[in-house]
Amino acid sequence: MSKEIINLTNVNKWYGDFHVLKDVNLTVNEGEILVVCGPSGSGKSTMIRCLNRLEEHQKGKIFISGTELNSEAKNINHIRKDVGMVFQHFNLFPHLTVLDNLTLGPIWVKKVPKKEAEKRALFYLDRVKIKEHAYKYPGQISGGQKQRVAIARSLCMQPKILLFDEPTSALDPEMVKEVLDIMIELTKEKITMIVVTHEMGFAKEVSDRVIFMADGKILETAKPEEFFNNPKHKQLQTFLSQVLT
Amino acid sequence: MKQKNIIQIIILFFVIAALGFVIYNTQQKIAAQNISSGFDFLQDEASFEISESLIEYSSFDTYKKALTVGLLNTLKVSILGNILALLLGILIGISLLSQNILLKKLCQSYVEIMRNTPLLLQLFFWYAIMNSLLPAPQEAISFAGTFFSNRGISIPWFEFSSFSWSYPKFKSFNFEGGYTLSLEFVALLFGLVVYTSAFIAEIVRAGLLSVQKGQWEASKTLGLSAWQSIRFVIFPQALRVAIPPLTSQILNLTKNSSLAVAIAFPDFVSVANTTMNQTGQALEVILLILLVYLTFSLLTAAFMNWYNKKISLVER
Amino acid sequence: MKFLSIVFISLFLIMQISQTVKAGTLANVKKNKLIKCGVSTGLVGFSAPNSKGKWSGLDVDFCKALSSAIFGSPNKVKFIPLSAQQRFTALQSGEVDILSRNTTRNLSRETNLGFNFAPVMYYDGQAFIVKKKSKAKSVKDLSGATICTQQGTSTEQNLAAYFRKHKLKLKVKVFESFEESTKTFVQGACDAYTSDKSSLAIFNVKFKSGFKILPEIISKEPLAPAVRHGDDQWLDIVSWTVYALVAAEELGLNSKNIHKHLKSRDLNIRKFVGATKGNGKALGLSKRWSYNIVKQVGNYGEIFSKNVGKKSILKIKRGLNNLWTKSGLMYSPPMK
Repeated sequence: MSKEIINLTNVNKWYGDFHVLKDVNLTVNEGEILVVCGPSGSGKSTMIRCLNRLEEHQKGKIFISGTELNSEAKNINHIRKDVGMVFQHFNLFPHLTVLDNLTLGPIWVKKVPKKEAEKRALFYLDRVKIKEHAYKYPGQISGGQKQRVAIARSLCMQPKILLFDEPTSALDPEMVKEVLDIMIELTKEKITMIVVTHEMGFAKEVSDRVIFMADGKILETAKPEEFFNNPKHKQLQTFLSQVLT
Repeated sequence: MKQKNIIQIIILFFVIAALGFVIYNTQQKIAAQNISSGFDFLQDEASFEISESLIEYSSFDTYKKALTVGLLNTLKVSILGNILALLLGILIGISLLSQNILLKKLCQSYVEIMRNTPLLLQLFFWYAIMNSLLPAPQEAISFAGTFFSNRGISIPWFEFSSFSWSYPKFKSFNFEGGYTLSLEFVALLFGLVVYTSAFIAEIVRAGLLSVQKGQWEASKTLGLSAWQSIRFVIFPQALRVAIPPLTSQILNLTKNSSLAVAIAFPDFVSVANTTMNQTGQALEVILLILLVYLTFSLLTAAFMNWYNKKISLVER
Repeated sequence: MKFLSIVFISLFLIMQISQTVKAGTLANVKKNKLIKCGVSTGLVGFSAPNSKGKWSGLDVDFCKALSSAIFGSPNKVKFIPLSAQQRFTALQSGEVDILSRNTTRNLSRETNLGFNFAPVMYYDGQAFIVKKKSKAKSVKDLSGATICTQQGTSTEQNLAAYFRKHKLKLKVKVFESFEESTKTFVQGACDAYTSDKSSLAIFNVKFKSGFKILPEIISKEPLAPAVRHGDDQWLDIVSWTVYALVAAEELGLNSKNIHKHLKSRDLNIRKFVGATKGNGKALGLSKRWSYNIVKQVGNYGEIFSKNVGKKSILKIKRGLNNLWTKSGLMYSPPMK
């Protein structure tokens, strides 16, 4: 049985007076593909952003690979070596070439020599089928290509966990498929993936578990079959009827 | 032709006519009063000394050479001043965003004070402080062959002509030998740098803040430290935004250096003023001053524009 | 339409400005009921405003004398402070009617700049001042010294020329303002200060530490009022105002006793006070023109003493500025 890699226990977070995460409990095992869905404002993005400390939780505990997340800088950097993230708006570095976007982290954080970092970068660019654009700038490629580069950039750091924050929400419809295809391929690796998305097709096809969040709480967790064919909570039923038409 | 073009041509005609009338009128009046004009005076002997010069100069040389000395002095203080102001300004700008509250507050106070007091007062202040704190040359503070007195900082200097080191020594009134950075130069440079860096710091801070939050998040996620994020991701992008206002500040420092004569540094305007006083050729000298500063401005702007283009983000 | 009217109006204004200057200065002054007198920005003894903005000094009193001569009142003067750079263009352009601003008369100013000078009001010369404890006893001891001075017209030139002639090494610090240059010297950042001797007198008055003026006078600075070329009548009036001041002292007439001489038997005095046919009409002024000068302002000796001499804080000796009968250079041609 695979071991636990992420653990959230009674996690609470407030933005001022607004209680955005309410007693969230979650366990993720190594290699699991987890999809998180729910209506806007349910706290899905906030929750995964707490996992790499882009947001800080005020109550409860979060464990990544057995280490508890707290405010110490050393601690944060240590965690971030293992947790990568793909953003809704890509966040590529516009002043660097695609290749340099990928080598920046390995060279300066993991102290990989330049030649090797470039070799690794080209390898991953090939994986996401975008090798021919290695020397272009982000401003010169399409949204779908940008997101694939972003995925490759995260992969270059060889993380154990990869977080996806609505990776296809900002893409034009015709580009969604190319990104989802890459993500589906990734699921074949040993990497643990947590994906916040509205793409139910993806969830049905490759996820190990699907989680439904609403009002800051995890309302339902189930394997995809159960989740889509037999939703228990009323709110989930309503949500699915809206999303799946 | 379109109506608006016709109106523009008519206005242009009247502007040229007005200008021509003013020039003609001035010439007539000058001739009537027998005032001499023209740039011939530049070849005359200057007959005045200049306290510091980057080239050989004596009162036997022409006004043209004297003005060149002033020009070189302006360049010296402007180029050095701009480099130092940029470095200091960038440092303070980054510190304004620091997590260290003490550092941040200190920098904020610095920026507020420097930006809100007139530069001339600041120059007088620094000059007065240095004058009162530093001793007479007879009692100069010495440190490693360097002497600090109210005449300036006298350092050992390597003479290329004789290929040997020259050391400053006190002789009856002042230091001979070595190279003396005059108090006037030090005070002017210090005042200009400290003043301009406050403005540059604000520009840098605004530039850094203008970079999208997502860039910070992406760098953090990759594991880059705050300093690495600033160096590789944030600052390069901030720079692109900051170049137009930075250009203004560079030009401002160069123009502000003309306050030099208030504290006896012989910059171009100071030397030009003496020339104007002695020859009475006010129009010609003022024209020269305008031309010189205009040239500085245009050259600086051209360079910054080229640099701006060179580093601009590549888009489709 | 709006643009065109603005252009037309500006052209019209430009023409008006040039018109004003072409008319004779006396006519202008009479029309304005005011003399625009260009003075310094503040030189104690010559032209300086007090805290209430009231002007006093030798150059100020001269313009007042001119006002008495023309208007019969010493107060029809507007004092316009001018820096050393501004003063010549101010006179050339017509911004002022007369420059009474401790200005040295020399050849290039009288030719290149298009000015005419009235007779000398004060014979000055450039000198040096050092701290009392300084080892220097003469300017020749100052080789290699740092000399502070205010950016002036002939000051830097005279300094360079003298040091060159006597093969002395010169280090000069040139400041824009009088305050800054003197302050730096007093603080000890310069070894000596040079300026016209008349402005050195203030040091021992204003500053506590002792100073001594070195004996050498290295230049001739005859200070005289200046007017524009091409206005003979105005030049005559200004010149004879200077002479009237001197002549009064020669004749023993002063502000306190002149009214007693209205019935004098002496022909020269009678001419002066306007009791007989005098010079007023020839100059285009009233017959009491010179009487008014002395009654309302004083004779040369009085205004000298009041502003720079015995009765002032400067206590400068008459020296060359005494009457010719007392070994000075003040000499009025016959006022007839």
